[in-house]
Formats: sequence, structure tokens, C-alpha cells
Amino acid sequence: MAPKSAFTVKKYMKSEPVTLSKEASVREALKTMIEKKTNGIVIVEGDQSVVGILSSWDLIQYLVPDYLEEDKHLATFESSDQFEKRLKQIGDNAIDNCMTKNVHTVREKDSLMAAATILSEFRIRQLPVVDEDSKLVGYLNRTDIKQAMGEALGL
Amino acid sequence: MTTFALAIAIFAVVYVFIIWEKVHRTVVALAGATLMITLGVLHQEQAIEGIDFNTLGLLIGLMVVVGIAKHSGVFQFVAIWATKVAKGNAIMVYALLAVITAVFSAFLDNVTTVLLMVPVIFVIANQLNVHVKPFLVGTILISNIGGAATLIGDPPNIMIGSASGLSFNSFLWNLGPVAVITGFVTIGILLLWYKKDLISHKDAAEEIAKLNPKDAITDWPLLSKSLAVLGIIMIGFFTHSATGLEGATIALAGASLLLLFTLNDPEHHLQEVEWTTIFFFSGLFVLVAGLEEVGAIHILAEKLLEMTGGDLTATTIALLWGSAVFSAAVDNIPFVATMIPLVQDVSEIARIPIEPLWWALALGADFGGNATLIGASANVIVNGMAEKEGQKLGFLSYMKTAVPLTILSLIIATIYMYLRYLV
Repeated sequence: MAPKSAFTVKKYMKSEPVTLSKEASVREALKTMIEKKTNGIVIVEGDQSVVGILSSWDLIQYLVPDYLEEDKHLATFESSDQFEKRLKQIGDNAIDNCMTKNVHTVREKDSLMAAATILSEFRIRQLPVVDEDSKLVGYLNRTDIKQAMGEALGL
Repeated sequence: MTTFALAIAIFAVVYVFIIWEKVHRTVVALAGATLMITLGVLHQEQAIEGIDFNTLGLLIGLMVVVGIAKHSGVFQFVAIWATKVAKGNAIMVYALLAVITAVFSAFLDNVTTVLLMVPVIFVIANQLNVHVKPFLVGTILISNIGGAATLIGDPPNIMIGSASGLSFNSFLWNLGPVAVITGFVTIGILLLWYKKDLISHKDAAEEIAKLNPKDAITDWPLLSKSLAVLGIIMIGFFTHSATGLEGATIALAGASLLLLFTLNDPEHHLQEVEWTTIFFFSGLFVLVAGLEEVGAIHILAEKLLEMTGGDLTATTIALLWGSAVFSAAVDNIPFVATMIPLVQDVSEIARIPIEPLWWALALGADFGGNATLIGASANVIVNGMAEKEGQKLGFLSYMKTAVPLTILSLIIATIYMYLRYLV
């Protein structure tokens, strides 16, 4: 069995998270996600303080107009060109409009169980890792935790 | 401070806060209502007696039923079906959707009607490739006019119906004709007004022919249960002058029946009731009871009669137009709650028949609410939904269309009232 301290956030996190500023456009965010092959971008301000997180999930929600979200009976009737039209409409909007602002974070020294609990409790997919001054130092997602789970079972 | 001055001060402060909108109106109304009791204007028993539980029960019952029924997709079915019948001709679609909005809002609460219609309108406008704003403005105007037609169509009517004891059929018989006439005139003018915006895309007809309205119906068993219960509720209302059952009993019986039929989790369906609205009403009723208790309403009634000389025609017309002006500027719910005891006093003091006064109050409040974006709850909600999609209606640009049409509707109402009740 691994020593008690082995499964920490610090050990499994990625130390170079993908970041953008909140002024970046939806277009830039999509480009970054596609190029960096990631579903999550940490939104930072000034000296790396975390102000939000943007996932591909947030972008999907932003794409779907509220009137369709409110009425599940209507999606099949929506005009088929709306997907493209809507994207062109929102493409230049700042991601400030659609990012998740209420961000849950973990510290490097936190245990993986603590991180997993937050993911599970809030049904989220990634966590920015911050230091004592709340500055961004890393990024932990489901894949990282899955990796650690495998190691714990000696797979 | 005397209780008289105290009651008026509390009431005035509450009104200012409601208009100011910085604090939620329900919180303001509840705070004001409890102040009426804690500062000694009313005893708790008097406050509770002031609350019209018939109005509350009716609202709650209908909210539960519609909250369940809308999950079947029946309302969306009707709207999509109308678009298909109109074969993608934007003018026809506009006219049919307006008629549907009018009918829905006559039998459902206006807020529910617009919450159902606005999403459909967005989808249909996208299909037709036309501007959505003419449809949104029309939906507001027509929902408030249609709501005037019945006892259950609009919150002011529900309150008036409950306080006056007038029956559902009586509302339909007295307000139905003027609502229908005004509705058709308004739709006609809206069509002329927006004619050049309502040119549909040439492929639209083809696209719309492909739509299958039945796709909107996601739950067939629920559909039949909801329609059955809605039917029973309607029969209940049409016959309540004979059965003696009151509105709250009918609506709550319908709600319990549908809850029994669907047999699932009442907690969820009861949460869908707009409790903030219910508490807003409760608070207002207590506030008005405070004003009544200290005799302020009586004094206002006497002042009104002084102005009109106690003449039935002058009083009725003044009430109609006065209510319209007030309802345009403030939400018509608090206004009507205050006016109900006043109308009763006016009729008593001047010994004039009360019925025309009730109809004048209802028509003034319902039609007057159309003039501005804040005149009625439906207006606020449509504008909110439009704003989210970047289609803000604009306070003044809305008024440019709405004020002339509101004045026209009031002229129609004046002529109707005069010919039917005052000659």
C-alpha cells in the first residue's frame, strides 16, 4: 500500500493549465479547446487569480437559446439553420457571458478524496488548483483522478 | 402618530417600493403587511380575515393544473398546428397565433400564456425568417385583452370575481363581447402596422410543411388526463352559479384530481406553484385591510364621488379611464386590490348599481396594463425573455405601438359600457 500522503492533488494535477482572460471571445475559446484538445479552460485575471472556468459544456449551454431550454417540446421544430446562425451571433461575444463564475478550487496539498468529493458533489468535471494566495498553479480533471484510481488498485 | 396616518404611511411606502423595484415586490408587500399588525393598525385576526382565500385557492389550483398539463406539450401542439394550417404565410400565422394567444389567455393566467407562447413564437419566427418583435408586441397586447374576457383570465378579474360574487358566466357574458371586439380590432391594426415586416422567406412554406405538430406531444396519457381535468374545471365554472361552488373549490378540486390521476410526486408539482405571487397577493390583501380598517378607503370613495357628482355614467367612465392610467403606471394587481373595497363603498354611498362599476374596473385595469412594458406581469415577462435573446423591445418604442392601441381599446370599452349599461 502506498504511503498515506501519496494521493495528493499536487501529484496528479497538470501543472500547465490552459488559460484565457474573460475578455477572450467564444471563437478564441473554441479555437483553444480544439487546438489544445481540452474541454476546460481556466479564466484568469492579472497575476493568475482565478475568476472563472469555461468548459465545452458552458459553450453548449450558451449556444442553446433560453426559449428552447425552457420548453423541451420545441427543439424538434427549431429551424435547422439556427445552429450556424446562432454560432455566428455569439462568436464574438466575450466568454465572460458564459463562463462559470462560481468556481470551486482545490489546493495542491489537498487529498484526492477531497478533490473527488467536490467533483462528485457539484457534478463538475474539472478543478483549478490554487496556492495559498489563490493563484492558479495547476488543473485537475476526471482523467487525472481516473489515473490515480487505477494506480491505487495497482492496475 | 394616529393609526390612520400610520396605515396610510405604511401603504404609501409599500407602493413606492413596488414601483421602485429594487426590492422584490413580494418581500415589500409582506413586510408592509406585518407592519400593519406589529404597529397596531390591525389585529392578526383582522389581517387574516382580509386575505381573500378564494382568490388564492383559485390561483393555486389553476397553477397546479397548468403546471402539470403543460408537460404534455398540448399547448405547443396547438401553436405549431396553426402555423402549419397557415401554410407559412406570415400574415396568416400572425393572425392565427394572436387568436390562439387570446383564447389561451382567456382560460389560463396571462403569465402562463406568454410563457407558453413566446418560445413557440421564437421558433416559428426563425422558421419563417421574419422579425420576432412584431409577434412579441402582439402577444403582450392580445394576452391582456383576451385575459379580460373571463373570470379566470387575468388576476384583476379573479380578485373582482371573488369579491363581487359575480359568476363565471356573468363575466363571460358581460366582458366577453367587448374583449372579442377589441381583440379583433387590435389584431387587424397590428397586421396593418407590421405588414411590411411580415413577409416570409420563400422556402418557409416548404420547411413548415415538414413540421409535424404531433411531435410536440411528449406524453399522450398525460395529455388525455390533462384535457379531461381541464374540461371538468371548465364545466365547474360554467355551472357554478347553479351549484354554488366557488372558484377556489373548483380549481383545487381539479388540481387534486389531476394529482390523483398522475400519481406522482406532489412535492414537485406543488413547488411549481408561483408562491411568490401567492404571498404577494396575501400581503396586498392585508395592506388593503389596514387601509379599510382606518377608514381611508371610505374617504377616497367619497372624494371620487365628489368629483363625479355621484352620477353613474360619470363615475363608471371615470373609473374605467382612471383604472387604465393607474394600471399603465403600476402593476394592476396592487391597484385592483385597493380599488375593490373602494368600488363597494362608492356604490353604497351613492346608491348606484355596482355591476357596471366592476366591469369598468376590470376593463380599465386589464386594457390599461397594455400601455407600458411594466403595466402587467405578462409584459414584464415577455420583455425579459426577449432581452435574453438580444431582442429588447424598448420602453418607448413599445409605447409607440401600445399607447395608441390601448387608447383605442379604451374608446371601444367606453362605447360598449355606455351603450350596454349607461343609456
